[in-house]
Amino acid sequence: MAIPGNKDIRDGILFSLPFMIVFALFMIYPLIFGLYISFFKWDILGTPSFLGLQNYADLLADEKFWSSLWHTVQFVLMTTPVLLVLGFLMALLVTSKSPLRGIMETCFFVPYIFSMTVVATLWAWIMQKDFGIINQVLNILGRDGVSWLTSEKNAMWSISVATYWWTAGFNMVLFTAGIKQISKEIYESATVDGAGMLQQVIHITIPLLKPTTILCLILQIIASFNVFGQVYVMTGGGPAGSTRVLVQYIYETGFNYFRMGYSAAMSYVLFVIIMAVSVLQYVFLGRRED
Amino acid sequence: MRNMKREVIFRILEVLIIAIWIFPLAWMVITSLKFENEVVTRSFTFLPQNPTLHNYQEAFGSTYILQWLLNSLIISAVTMAGTFVLDAPIAYAFAKIRFPGRNILFWIVMAGMMVPFQVLIVPLYLQFNSYGIINTLTAAILPRLAMPIGIFILRQFYEGIPDALEEAAFIDGAGRLRTFVQIIMPLGKAAATTVIILAFINAWNDFLWPLIAISDSVNYTITVGIANFQGTHGTEYAMIMAGAVIASLPELVFFLIFRRKIIDGIAMTGIKG
Repeated sequence: MAIPGNKDIRDGILFSLPFMIVFALFMIYPLIFGLYISFFKWDILGTPSFLGLQNYADLLADEKFWSSLWHTVQFVLMTTPVLLVLGFLMALLVTSKSPLRGIMETCFFVPYIFSMTVVATLWAWIMQKDFGIINQVLNILGRDGVSWLTSEKNAMWSISVATYWWTAGFNMVLFTAGIKQISKEIYESATVDGAGMLQQVIHITIPLLKPTTILCLILQIIASFNVFGQVYVMTGGGPAGSTRVLVQYIYETGFNYFRMGYSAAMSYVLFVIIMAVSVLQYVFLGRRED
Repeated sequence: MRNMKREVIFRILEVLIIAIWIFPLAWMVITSLKFENEVVTRSFTFLPQNPTLHNYQEAFGSTYILQWLLNSLIISAVTMAGTFVLDAPIAYAFAKIRFPGRNILFWIVMAGMMVPFQVLIVPLYLQFNSYGIINTLTAAILPRLAMPIGIFILRQFYEGIPDALEEAAFIDGAGRLRTFVQIIMPLGKAAATTVIILAFINAWNDFLWPLIAISDSVNYTITVGIANFQGTHGTEYAMIMAGAVIASLPELVFFLIFRRKIIDGIAMTGIKG
């Protein structure tokens, strides 16, 4: 809106400036600087030397990079479908007519409030091999304890279980919001037509929730691609590197071995992967708004 | 009659589900109340035989946990205030001020939401190292101040405020700044609360960056402190759980106060911390 003596240009700049300075300093500049670093052999001491695309070429031949990428993909595949289904089922309970729905909403959501390191520490204790409650109960039942976090076969699943518990409530919130937007009349007329509860869920709720499902799916894939903290706390990437994920490899390369250039190159590869997923998100979100 | 029965079965199942979901939290508290030798033993007990607060004393006494909490509170408070102070004016500019380049600028800022933080860790570290602020709380705070999602939320809200309100203020002789502070900001309180809550959750739960930016254990945030507990306290599980309980209390209180706001904020923005 114009004001007397039109000062829109000046005001626009002045109001945008504080944010833009911080944004330029701590987002745009490091983003470009990081790309620059990725073309160098850059240790924290010593002079950086230009390598061109050598870091990226090295990546392609780095077995640890591929295994970390594979573990990350494994984690995405292990968590995404389960978290969507859990979140959806929780949302059904929370939007039902049950007098317990309010309590259920709070209970399902509350783990998400705890910081991930607390959650991971807690589950590492629950799954502890000798004295954790799961194996103690198995012992009482006359079974042998299971190496939840110390065997290559189980470790990633165990991390996934902790993640289910931690973030399913987040997806529940999105699904609940989606379900609440579906008009009650559709359900009422379905009831009149004699459709049972299960039929209504399959033929009304699920199809009409498609936009929410896509949103959840993409957010979840991005979040799972960025997994780090749970792994860091629960297994440290072990046993024998079998749960080392990409963010962890980036972190170790950069800050344990101080190979900054190589680390930056890796982070850009991950960026491109996540970018592809984000672009999908914008395509789908754009469609939803139409 | 058949319906009655079904209802009862449903309620029982629901109570069971709630119990299972809440159990890990209960187990955290139960473990923290046991003596270490009751925890690390094959003769399993469910409830503490001699409930004790010893582990809490131990956690407060032999770790920096209070300092970590304080660090996290400082970081969160500054991030909350800073985010609002930076986000609100530019959101207002995007919503109400017609200046050239507005749309391009808006999309540049929104594109910032797509940048995964780990792309920034190496350059930010080198950058902050050259400023000499590595291992300070400032280093932990700075990269978290520019929060594009906050702009998105606030802009959405400010756009809905009728132009007539502003016009009236301008006719009364108020300038941009006064109009923004005295009219727009108070009207946007609900959106501002959502933004500030999101800023708190992000700052409090931040892990990767403080892990990198801070090296002295005195300066740790609570998330980093707890993550390193296992490394430094090995098998003292009861004490570790006491630490986890202490670490969670501020967030739990925050959640109980703002429960509705937090859940609605997530439903509105789909932001995952």
